[in-house]
Amino acid sequence: MIDIENLHKSYGDAHILKGIDLHIKEKEVVVIIGPSGSGKSTLLRCINFLEVPTEGTVAVDGILLNGETNINDVRKEVGMVFQRFNLFPHMTVLQNIMLAPMKVRHIAKEEAEETAKKLLARVGLADKADSYPPQLSGGQQQRVAIARALAMKPKVMLFDEPTSALDPEMVGEVLDVMKRLAEEGMTMVIVTHEMGFAREVGDRVLFVDGGQILEQGTPDEVFNHPKEKRTQDFLSKVL
Amino acid sequence: MNFNFDLIVNSFPLLLLGAVITVKITAMSVALGIVIGLFAGIARICRVKPLRWISAVYVDFFRGTPLLVQIFLFYFAVPVITGQRIDPYVAAVGSCGINSGAYIAEIVRAGIQSIDEGQMEAGRSLGMTWTQTMRYVIVPQAMKRVIPPLGNEFIALLKDSSLVSVIGFEELTRRGQLIIAKTYASLEIWFSVAIIYLVMTLTISRFVAFLEKRYNPDDRH
Repeated sequence: MIDIENLHKSYGDAHILKGIDLHIKEKEVVVIIGPSGSGKSTLLRCINFLEVPTEGTVAVDGILLNGETNINDVRKEVGMVFQRFNLFPHMTVLQNIMLAPMKVRHIAKEEAEETAKKLLARVGLADKADSYPPQLSGGQQQRVAIARALAMKPKVMLFDEPTSALDPEMVGEVLDVMKRLAEEGMTMVIVTHEMGFAREVGDRVLFVDGGQILEQGTPDEVFNHPKEKRTQDFLSKVL
Repeated sequence: MNFNFDLIVNSFPLLLLGAVITVKITAMSVALGIVIGLFAGIARICRVKPLRWISAVYVDFFRGTPLLVQIFLFYFAVPVITGQRIDPYVAAVGSCGINSGAYIAEIVRAGIQSIDEGQMEAGRSLGMTWTQTMRYVIVPQAMKRVIPPLGNEFIALLKDSSLVSVIGFEELTRRGQLIIAKTYASLEIWFSVAIIYLVMTLTISRFVAFLEKRYNPDDRH
């Protein structure tokens, strides 16, 4: 589903990603962990070309992303959830969810609205359809953001630290939605600091540090039997 | 000192006719300025380099030269090139609107840049194009934020429209001059003209305050 080869990303002299190779299968849930500034988010953002790689290739569902591909064709198949939600504050919750399906997939308004309402019910927010995002709590906003991404019926969902901006008591409600999504067979790539969640939901855990994948394996392998010294150090600090 | 109230009362209808023309020029110029400013402001930050460049030159030129000179250029210099006389009305609205467009372009640019980058990223990540995201997500939010500076610009424009009196256009200031030429009542007439301008600018500022409140009801005050 996602094939990344020899991915490099630099900003001027700062070399953020140093040769990432990553292949993600359909329905796989991959969790990326690692210290701040290790390049986790940059890696995630390269998958839908919010960051353009300096070198190397990214292919999603067999489509190679480069200057010639229509990036939007790939992006509509790849949902993204941001740390800071990034809902559109001037639109109601329902309009937030309906916008892209109507403008990008050219779905009729009635159908888009029906889908949006179903998705809202799925994330437990059916009663918030006509609210504006600033009126919602962080956890509710993030669930709307997930519904908004799902409305495009993506093949892959990317999560960029989806719970890092939330108050602790709201983390659970967002993780629950994500867990259900994983159980339903969505292909997911998740950057997170929620180690318990990574262990429980991840099919594969990647430890990224210094712009490289230092270690990867099943949650049991990475969390319980880390081979690399740096993975051990990191886990001893966060667990 | 003699203050002749009768004279004020007598010339008031003439001055008001001038004020109507002032409002007309201002409204037309504002409309023109908003259209130009919206496109020039967006062009200033788009990815197409030539567009950015053209927009920057436009803003620099019309912000960097006096409006009075621009009015002269429009009314006297352009006909030299085209060989066609320009209607004073077209020259007045054209020069004020194009001048105002340069300031509005900067207001629009600042408004757009004040919107969190995450909004563009969210729009793009949903598969929308840059233009779609601008149109449905960024510009509607930016428009709310630019209401106060746009209000300032309208007030400035209304006052600056007095400059078109130099090409003989009979708006408020010009009417005042003409009446004084006949009556020599500088004090009374200029005082009246000032008051009429003040009433108009205060009306705009109240209207802008109303719009601001209406479109940003949740904001802190």
